[in-house]
Amino acid sequence: VSTLRLFLTRLFGLFRRHDRRLSEEIEAHLELLADDYRRRGMVPEDAKSAARRTLGNVTHVQEVYRAQWGWPAVESWLQDLRYGLRLVSRNPGFASVAIVVLALAVGANTVIFSVAHALLLKPLAVERPDEIVMVQHRGTLGFSFPDYQDLRDRNDAFEDMAGYRITHVHLEYQGAAHRVWGYLATGNYFDLLGVRPAIGRLFTAGDERGPGESPLAVLSHDTWHARFAGSPDVIGRTITINRLPFTIIGVAPAGFYGIERYYRPEVWVPMAMQPQIEVGNPWLDRRSTRNTWVVGRLHPSVTRERAQANLDAIAKVIATEYANVNADFGVVLTQPGLMGDRVGGPARAFLFGLVGLAGLVLLIGCANVASLLLARGTDRQRELAVRASLGAGAMRLARQVVTETLVLSLLGGITGAALAWMAAELLTGWRAPLDFPVQFDVRLDARVFGFAFAIATAAGLLAAASPARKASRTPPNAILRSPSGSWRRRRWAMRDVLVSGQVALCLVLLVASSHALVGLRRTLSMPLGFNPENAAVIGFELALAGYDRQRGQDFQRRVWEAVSVLPGVEQAAYSNSIPLSPDQSSNVAFPENAASWPEGRSVTHYQVSPGFFRTMGMRLAVGREFEWRDTERAPQVAVVNLAFARRVFGSTDAIGRRFKHALSGPTIEVVGLVEDGKYTTMTEDPRPVVFRPIHQSYNSTTTVIARSSLPTEQVLAAMRGVLATLDPGLPVYGAGGLEQVLALPLLPSRVAAVALSSFGLLALTLALAGLHGLVAYAVASRRREIGIRVALGAASGQIVRLAMQRVTVMVGAGLIAGTALALAVGQLLSAIVYDVSVSDPMVLASAVIAMLGSSTVACAGPLLSALRVDPMLVLRCD
Amino acid sequence: MGSSDVQHGTLDLMVLRTLEQASPLHGYGIARRIEQVAEGMLALNQGTIYPALLRLEQRGWITSAPGRSENNRPARFYSITRAGRKQLTHEKARWARTVAMMRRLLREDV
Repeated sequence: VSTLRLFLTRLFGLFRRHDRRLSEEIEAHLELLADDYRRRGMVPEDAKSAARRTLGNVTHVQEVYRAQWGWPAVESWLQDLRYGLRLVSRNPGFASVAIVVLALAVGANTVIFSVAHALLLKPLAVERPDEIVMVQHRGTLGFSFPDYQDLRDRNDAFEDMAGYRITHVHLEYQGAAHRVWGYLATGNYFDLLGVRPAIGRLFTAGDERGPGESPLAVLSHDTWHARFAGSPDVIGRTITINRLPFTIIGVAPAGFYGIERYYRPEVWVPMAMQPQIEVGNPWLDRRSTRNTWVVGRLHPSVTRERAQANLDAIAKVIATEYANVNADFGVVLTQPGLMGDRVGGPARAFLFGLVGLAGLVLLIGCANVASLLLARGTDRQRELAVRASLGAGAMRLARQVVTETLVLSLLGGITGAALAWMAAELLTGWRAPLDFPVQFDVRLDARVFGFAFAIATAAGLLAAASPARKASRTPPNAILRSPSGSWRRRRWAMRDVLVSGQVALCLVLLVASSHALVGLRRTLSMPLGFNPENAAVIGFELALAGYDRQRGQDFQRRVWEAVSVLPGVEQAAYSNSIPLSPDQSSNVAFPENAASWPEGRSVTHYQVSPGFFRTMGMRLAVGREFEWRDTERAPQVAVVNLAFARRVFGSTDAIGRRFKHALSGPTIEVVGLVEDGKYTTMTEDPRPVVFRPIHQSYNSTTTVIARSSLPTEQVLAAMRGVLATLDPGLPVYGAGGLEQVLALPLLPSRVAAVALSSFGLLALTLALAGLHGLVAYAVASRRREIGIRVALGAASGQIVRLAMQRVTVMVGAGLIAGTALALAVGQLLSAIVYDVSVSDPMVLASAVIAMLGSSTVACAGPLLSALRVDPMLVLRCD
Repeated sequence: MGSSDVQHGTLDLMVLRTLEQASPLHGYGIARRIEQVAEGMLALNQGTIYPALLRLEQRGWITSAPGRSENNRPARFYSITRAGRKQLTHEKARWARTVAMMRRLLREDV
């Protein structure tokens, strides 16, 4: 504050200089005039007072003189400001409470806004971003590549449509292979987005010379620096991707990461290379594989509605032309940036929910500061009355209160913005617990700071509204005549309503955050269907490393044999994927005698080695594990879960029954039944799952699981050693404890719980600070009355009742209103906190009890001081 | 005949004219001279001279510098500038036109 004051003092110095000049002039004038009078024979004293009379009203001259400077409005505003700052420094307790309250409220809002800004509002780093839309398959996300081509060629609403896909590759340079993430993208992708290369060139539609014929790579700016030292001669250099030579033709501009806002790709490869990138799974000509994400640039003259109508018409045709795979075909246009509405939908709902909660916290903060101001306003009534009787207009008094509050709110805003900046740095530095380059860039920019400033100002004005109204209506006579602090005690004052409002809003937030915590605990205690403790996992991909099926199977078996005999490893197995990891595949299963498509059920599909169920801790209800004899030449077998048995066979008596994956395909016999678990999310309903022996149904993507009571790091090091001996050039990924796979599915509920609890805690702090302040104030301003009552023999119980009467009513009213509100906004809450019955009476009851308890604590201090009032002391002063 | 208040807008002209005849002059001197010339026909609130002086200085028509009065009192002395003389000529002509017009108008009225 002191530097600010210095600056302001200097600023006022400007005005003072002119004031000084005038007073010098007046002084000289009076002297000269008095000299004249003396010359005419007056005694010096008379001459002086005569001179003063002749000169007339100096104050008036001063005002005119100042007005001359053209700054009267600014000057009187600065006067208010100076006054405000003086009050801040004179009441550091009040001021710091107000500033902290506002800082917390503004900070919380700024953080939420900066996240919403980064994820939803900030324009994409492409040319004319408002024309860019995500073209999404209704319900899922991507299209098959042939369907994408049809949409692109048949529409007349888009300038162009590009197809792309997130993928990973084995990038070899300097003698080592690395698993890196990138994009497959059609040739028109960069031109459509309007992106210019940092160096070299970006691939174009002309580079697509047919499948496998465009071995070109574009590096991201970050990768160019991190892996190639930012050297300009990478252009034209050949690098090895998935054991094949690719030519680096250019580097994308800094800050361009494609259109997914959270993703940090390292390399772009033409879509035509898909068969070489996703080895063993070519799908460019397959109409049933919906792997292509589509982004479009609208014609400038075409509205979204027209484009949607245009695509609807095309979709109808495609759905009938290819009815066997496209019966459910439908197209929707969504916002680009967050995988259409698959991530974007929930993220938007959650963020808007948080924006709402942050708004509530801001309201609580404003109510808090307003009630503090009102309480203090009562103390300042005399001061305001004196000013009013000296001629300050109603507007001037109101303006002064507003200015003072703005001073507080701006100081609060600056502090809040600083808090938000720190929080944003933390969030930006955070990395998701994933083998996937996720980064949220939520650093604060000018727009976010503008928002913080606007919020702070709005908060100040909001908080000042009621006190300013009251100040402008100060009746000087009534106040100045009455003894201190006893003027007009209305039955219900504005600040009482504000306290009730705070209690109510706070209860709503508490209920919301308790729901989130209850939900999280429930999720954590849900049976997973496997034992995540004491197991290490490590992954590798054999097709990308150049292994064919035969060599791949041999390699997997050799790894398994070596890991099984590692010291401390009790049990080992391998599979294509493990439950709850991000990589899940699905397939269709038909009962043995099914003859039509609708009889098919979508099932989750794993390919696993012998010993998998024992290693994972999955319980077989009946039947057997896979064995090494379940090979290609042996009868086709499967283990299914209970949900599969119920959905496909209609009963859990499934051992020996048969199903098939295609209407005319071979049948597979069920040899084991495993209990249901969680496979994609923690909150899913039991989902049908089929496990196949990996020797009958090969998959080159491999996860090795080793159960051991040794520390995970030690087991992992040994497993890495095994892999390095068997194939030193093979990149491994996803190494960690099995329990780490839970981190991602638990992430949404953890984020929700953390965010809501922070808000709940914040609201509780603010409401209790407000309550404490008001009770303290009430006791302080009624000390006299309390003193008299004590002197007249009032018992402590009566004093407590006196002090608490009003607070009790206020808190009670707030709790009732809050309960009603919490029930009313229950629907909104369940959008934020999933899987929780929002009207859970236990949660509501405990929130009410928590509020009551903490209100009591907040009031205890002031109450004690009320009981300690010494009547002699109080009555003697005043 | 009683004295009248200073007509709005005429004080600036009076000050400029006074300074044209006798520069430099301090505020008190200017006020005294105006009163002498008016010979009691004008009730000048002497203090109002200072806002007028500041106004004229801000427009660049006069300048000021600290100095000492004839009886050795510190005082600020004002002088007319070239721009001030130009402005005065301009204002004189405007006044002459206004007075002539007013005279004709009032005569016809009688």
